Amino acid sequence: MSHGPRIVDAAQMDLPAGSLWRRLPLVGAVLAVAGFGLSFAMRGGNEEQFYSSWLVAFLYFMSLGLGGLFFVLVQFATKSGWGIVVRRLAENTAASLAVMFLAFIPVYMGLNQLYHHWTDTAHLDAILQGKSPYLNTTRFLIFGLAYLAIWTLLALWFRSGSVKQDTTGDHDLTRRRVKWAGPGLIVFALTSTFASFDWAMSLEPHWYSTIFGVYYFAGSLVCVFAFLSLVIIGLRRAGSLEGFVTVEHMQDMGKLLYAFVVFWAYIGFSQFFLIWYANIPEETVWYLARLTGNWKPFTLFLAVGHFIVPFFFLMSRHAKRKNLTLGVGALWMMFMHLVDMYWLVMPTFQKDGYALTLLDLTTLLAVGGLFLAAFGFFLTRAKLVPAKDPRLIESISFQNF
Amino acid sequence: MGLPIPLIPQLPEGKNFGLLARFENAQTIYTACEKVRDAGYTKWDSHTPFPVHGLDHAMGVKASKLPWLVLITGLSGATGGMLLQWWVSVHAYPLVISGKPLFSWPAFVPVTFELGVLFGALGAVFGMFAFNQLPMLFHPLFSSKAFARATDDGFFISIESWDPKYDETQTAALLREAGAVDVEVVENG
Amino acid sequence: MAQLVENTHEPVEGRAPLILGGHDFKSLTDKVVEPLERKTPIGWWLCFIPSLAMLSVLGVAIGWLFWEGIGVWGLNNPVGWGWAIVNFVFWVGIGHAGTLISAILFLFRQTWRTSINRSAEAMTIFAVMCALIFPGIHVGRVWVAYWMLPVPNQMSMWPNFRSPLVWDVFAVSIYGSVSLLFWYVGMIPDLATIRDRTPSRVKKILYGMFALGWRASTRHWQHYERAYLILASLATPLVLSVHSIVSMDFATSQLPGWHTTIFPPYFVAGAIFSGFAMVVTLMIICRKAFKMEAILTLRHFENMAKIIMLTGMMVGYAYSIEFFIAWYSGNPYEQFVFINRAFGPYAWGYWIMVSCNVISPQIFWFKKFRTNLKVLFVVSIFVNIGMWFERFVIVASSLHRDFLPSSWDYYSPTKWDVMTFIGSFGLFFTMFCLFARFLPMVAMAEVKTVLPGADPHGDGPKVVIKGAD
Repeated sequence: MSHGPRIVDAAQMDLPAGSLWRRLPLVGAVLAVAGFGLSFAMRGGNEEQFYSSWLVAFLYFMSLGLGGLFFVLVQFATKSGWGIVVRRLAENTAASLAVMFLAFIPVYMGLNQLYHHWTDTAHLDAILQGKSPYLNTTRFLIFGLAYLAIWTLLALWFRSGSVKQDTTGDHDLTRRRVKWAGPGLIVFALTSTFASFDWAMSLEPHWYSTIFGVYYFAGSLVCVFAFLSLVIIGLRRAGSLEGFVTVEHMQDMGKLLYAFVVFWAYIGFSQFFLIWYANIPEETVWYLARLTGNWKPFTLFLAVGHFIVPFFFLMSRHAKRKNLTLGVGALWMMFMHLVDMYWLVMPTFQKDGYALTLLDLTTLLAVGGLFLAAFGFFLTRAKLVPAKDPRLIESISFQNF
Repeated sequence: MGLPIPLIPQLPEGKNFGLLARFENAQTIYTACEKVRDAGYTKWDSHTPFPVHGLDHAMGVKASKLPWLVLITGLSGATGGMLLQWWVSVHAYPLVISGKPLFSWPAFVPVTFELGVLFGALGAVFGMFAFNQLPMLFHPLFSSKAFARATDDGFFISIESWDPKYDETQTAALLREAGAVDVEVVENG
Repeated sequence: MAQLVENTHEPVEGRAPLILGGHDFKSLTDKVVEPLERKTPIGWWLCFIPSLAMLSVLGVAIGWLFWEGIGVWGLNNPVGWGWAIVNFVFWVGIGHAGTLISAILFLFRQTWRTSINRSAEAMTIFAVMCALIFPGIHVGRVWVAYWMLPVPNQMSMWPNFRSPLVWDVFAVSIYGSVSLLFWYVGMIPDLATIRDRTPSRVKKILYGMFALGWRASTRHWQHYERAYLILASLATPLVLSVHSIVSMDFATSQLPGWHTTIFPPYFVAGAIFSGFAMVVTLMIICRKAFKMEAILTLRHFENMAKIIMLTGMMVGYAYSIEFFIAWYSGNPYEQFVFINRAFGPYAWGYWIMVSCNVISPQIFWFKKFRTNLKVLFVVSIFVNIGMWFERFVIVASSLHRDFLPSSWDYYSPTKWDVMTFIGSFGLFFTMFCLFARFLPMVAMAEVKTVLPGADPHGDGPKVVIKGAD
């Protein structure tokens, strides 16, 4: 008896006709408008809180898009086989970067509230004067727009070729993307690093850490693998992807999520540990801010929730192969990544301890709605899977150990 | 399973060990294993020069418990490491080093982690040896000249004579039906 | 020979074959075991004797060091760490590639690793042996080296667990032990293969003892595969942690040029970079010497070239970010270190480092050079030279001119420093020659799993899409 080939239905590559997923762009748009409206209304007299909450949301959803872009680039650069069936979902995630310049506008408008340490050019100390060739508002704007333009270009070019291949099946589209993925990764590394310096690290302009870009990157990947896991689980439950994205792919997503949780902890601990050990006041000040008042239990919560809990919860093979455990784990990690972004930004503004406000929620809705609208728009515009990718069969049929 | 006593297998008395059948390739041994499993045999094994994907499922073998053992040994190693450093730095030989607290837990992380990995690895290796009852330097199957191919390019199924369904002629017939190229009787001892 | 270059052209819709020459299981076994069964060729002696000579240089250098003391080395004030620690980090770094190939490439299901992992793991063990020599001999009073270990002693003295040097003791020795276990466990099925075919009774007993009575049972394979996966999953964070801990020898200090948060991942990337270069160097030689062109194909080398590029870029990234942040920090001492590195007394070392590490791997952007073994060989040697200089630049340039100009000085090695280093290569090559002579250089059982015919469900398509246009 020989086992014949498994048959999968091509219709599974599309969203079902009446699926709620088709409404996602509209839902996202409504959330964005509502979120922005409410935030704007609450802004009066509370400008610093508005902009800092907005920055947290901005950093969060940027990292999601960037994580998606990284995954797409790596899939092409390594000519990976297993990931093709999930690559379109990552392409859609990355494509959300195209609308993020809208979310960048409030960041730029809030420069004086957010980055007043270095934007207040009349009162700079000698050290900050030395940094002013880099830390100035013009350079900040130009670089910010450049980052967004580059990421938009990369995300849309990689996605458009992939979508075109759904109809033409042209192998050259793959070859060209494989060729440009390597240089794309170099550009990605440098732009995302300097973006994290500009947007997050310069909140405390006297402080610096060479590993900061890597830290932001690690968190982005945790978030994107959690997000993709949830999207896959959701789409399968909605009646799509059956046979295309199997439990083997889910396990791989879970493994990648797990690996980057550990990597995040490694990078986060390296940064903390070296600064703690040398005990130089210029450096420790950043951690001291995060250990003052009720920031201390918050930091502890971050360490335990972002590392210890998922380390044990997602360790076993079985946890990564079941919808419920992988889904809960992924949802938790998306939450913990938000906690991480909050932890990066808020201690600069809330010196005695963290204090959650409604603005945190409404700004999250605003930027999140924008993200969902963009993601939903791209998701519904094309097939869920690269239908004519040359290695599609290999991707569908792979099995884990 | 019994306690692993190294080097020599603890086999019951009896003239013959059982039957040894050689198969041509990975495909035929896969289907043959499914047949032997479905026929209800329990005291049998297959032998391949490399691990054939899915053959353990074809044989009906349950998943290995090794990961649990490794989790225990690994956590013990890490805990032990942290305890060692705590005891040394706080009680046995307390030194004030550059103003750091005696229980400098961040500084204790590297050694804790390394010892966790070491004990996990030891658990994996020696646990695997224990589960496989290795070393076992003498085994009746080695008396078969054909069996030397098991580590080269040969695929074998061996069915022990102590299996309740074992019957020298019928079992050999089943194996031949399943595609065996050679079937030989292996003596005990 | 045209047949052999086929597999670097990777068709977009499939995968090129990994093993060429139409090998089946039996011919593969024959090919790999043949060097062990035949009489020792003259070429082996031509490698072994000079290696032994270099090893004896090591013996002389260490002997003289123990007799006379650390003063025979070039260390001074302020450069209290010199060639010894540079060589230590150099060798540990090289060792990491073996574990990466075994463990990380295994977890990423990169089946091409099967041709090189046995040799790479052996290289790891020998590199760790060479690395451990340096901390072992540099302590001065070698007869009390056991003080580094947490064992009860008559003075009730215990190590200082807050010191990165103590962490090194644990990290590197555990790394050596786990690598040894991984290498050995991986070899058991192959030792059984040799046991089963050797006509010599003595060899049968020796190989048989170490093969533990392996009888290729599927029930055993199941636990074995699980153990292998667990070891790979453990070895991956291990390799990341070990070189991170080594980097902490420097990064936990307050010295400009040393104390920077990116050191742990930067050192790990550099280690893999230099390790892969060493694997490439060794494998190009072995491929020719043992005529393994069908097993160590150009595709394997191309993949290694790509990893060299990737890790080289990571190292380049770290150089750039360190440089930028040094300026951004506004810290004059930090800024001075980087100016001094590029234009000070050690500028020659700095520019060797940059050209070898950043510039030379760029040639691998071109497929033509990725698949050219002569180019690969030359670049791999450059990379190792560059990585040695990276550690030297980090150590010497940061120490020789730190905060107080009146303390500044210049460090030069003595001939004993140099002889110890050359001698360590003697140890490395001696061990590798012995390995190549007596143990299977390729993981036969693993390579067989990537040959056609290994899949019990056949090699045809596993999935068919119904209703596609």
